[in-house]
Amino acid sequence: MTERGRARAAAQSYWWLSGLSLAGFFLVWHGLVALGIVPTTILESPVKVAQTFLMKLSSAYPDGATLGQHFKTSLTLALTGYVAAVVVGVPLGLLMGWYRTVDGIVRPLFEVVRPIPPIAWIPLSILWFGIGLPAKAFIIWLSAFVPSVINSYAGIRYTDPVLINVARTFGASHWETFLRVGVPWALPMVFTGLRLSLSSAWMTLVAAELLAATEGLGYMIQMGRTLARPDVIIVGMLTIGFAGALMALALERVEGRITPWRRS
Amino acid sequence: MEEVVGAMENGKLVRSVTRLLPIVSLLAVVVIWQIVVSAGLSGHLVPSPTRVAEQFWRMLVQPVGRLTLIGHVCWSLRRVLTAFLVAAFLGVPLGLFMGWNRKFEAVVKPIFEIFRPIPPIAWIPLAILWFGIGETPKIFICWVGAFVPAVMNAYTGIRFTDPLLLDAARTLGARGRQLFLEVAVPSALPAIFAGLQNGLSLGWMCVLAAEMVGAREGAGYLILLGMDMSSPAMIIAGMLTIGGVGAFIAVGLRYLEKRVCPWLRAVTG
Repeated sequence: MTERGRARAAAQSYWWLSGLSLAGFFLVWHGLVALGIVPTTILESPVKVAQTFLMKLSSAYPDGATLGQHFKTSLTLALTGYVAAVVVGVPLGLLMGWYRTVDGIVRPLFEVVRPIPPIAWIPLSILWFGIGLPAKAFIIWLSAFVPSVINSYAGIRYTDPVLINVARTFGASHWETFLRVGVPWALPMVFTGLRLSLSSAWMTLVAAELLAATEGLGYMIQMGRTLARPDVIIVGMLTIGFAGALMALALERVEGRITPWRRS
Repeated sequence: MEEVVGAMENGKLVRSVTRLLPIVSLLAVVVIWQIVVSAGLSGHLVPSPTRVAEQFWRMLVQPVGRLTLIGHVCWSLRRVLTAFLVAAFLGVPLGLFMGWNRKFEAVVKPIFEIFRPIPPIAWIPLAILWFGIGETPKIFICWVGAFVPAVMNAYTGIRFTDPLLLDAARTLGARGRQLFLEVAVPSALPAIFAGLQNGLSLGWMCVLAAEMVGAREGAGYLILLGMDMSSPAMIIAGMLTIGGVGAFIAVGLRYLEKRVCPWLRAVTG
């Protein structure tokens, strides 16, 4: 049996344990609430959370918008900032990694900005742009920008010198070598950067919406706290988590399509 | 001969220019920034670099709120480090066992997978609901931030132990606990360390978010206070301090890593 086959067989033989464990988890959760050990102002039962989820699909009560509306607001915002960051960040990182001069000029500035967590930009951007869309878009852009740059930079920096020399020997220009050798070599790392950027953007979005928003998933869980509705908070948290995981999965699919040589 | 010497000097010149470039570029930005602000081109919301430096100095010597700048940073650090230590002591063993024992994995992994994709910051409202607005919710959020990477990296580290090493140890008669402690765990150490690094920097980010949502002290509170007082100089000085501390933490951990497992460098290249 192959290594993978053996692993699959082992995983299959314990699926019942996983099922039991999940069932136990939900039972304990439900029991804690149903027996009144934990008051419902702090935690709601899984049944109630499921009910609230179904209710939130169509009702704007109690936080002013349906789950779909919150989701759409957050997703639009996150993807706008993310795409803008990738479009600027990846080329910048690649150029920084390839051309010494660009590296010398841009990197020191970048190194000053890099260790500042994107969340720390929230007060400044609210002061600069108000609490509307531009402030949040700016913060999310920033949070996705940094990992895009770093990974593209690191990826192309470690291009195998043998490959570069081969390209040169065959008469490729500096630019051509960059495009045909450097960039393909860096692609797996670029994708790592895209994945990190996505999760960073999604997390920063929640923070931005917690602090300044009138709609969106972050706003929804914040309202859940103000209204002492743990079921609303948990529905919001699970939606955030699930959407994040789904986007990461989609990106992985794209990666598999674009860099098929990676699998081997 | 002369040509060769000329070329060599030329190369030296190019190299020293490249080395100077970072300093020149940073200086240029600061100077341009200063000129733009003093020419009044930027409006009152962008402070000049000298204004930021002045504000930084003032916060060092005069308390803002209850504490000075250093006091605020120490307060944040205390929250992060408490959470980090708890997360490391709980998370690493959990991840290791999850990676080693299939039954344990089958029990714990599904529950862990429900929580894993939820960003730690999304726990803030629930944490406040649960623990009020004292120290506990802030530490709890940093704990969530540091715990997930600690578990995940220990887990994958163990899972990717070279089967060849395990087989070799088995051939030499190692069993169970010995195999785990003397082969699998050391081989997972680089991954564990990477997880702890990620955890600490994520914790440093989470503490800011937690402090911005509700606190009376800490670095996150400081920059939010700057926003309320509409003092961009205070915010920028605070941000640079936060970045400095973050960078310092990262460098410190890398140093520690070299000390604790010197064979690491060969592994990670």
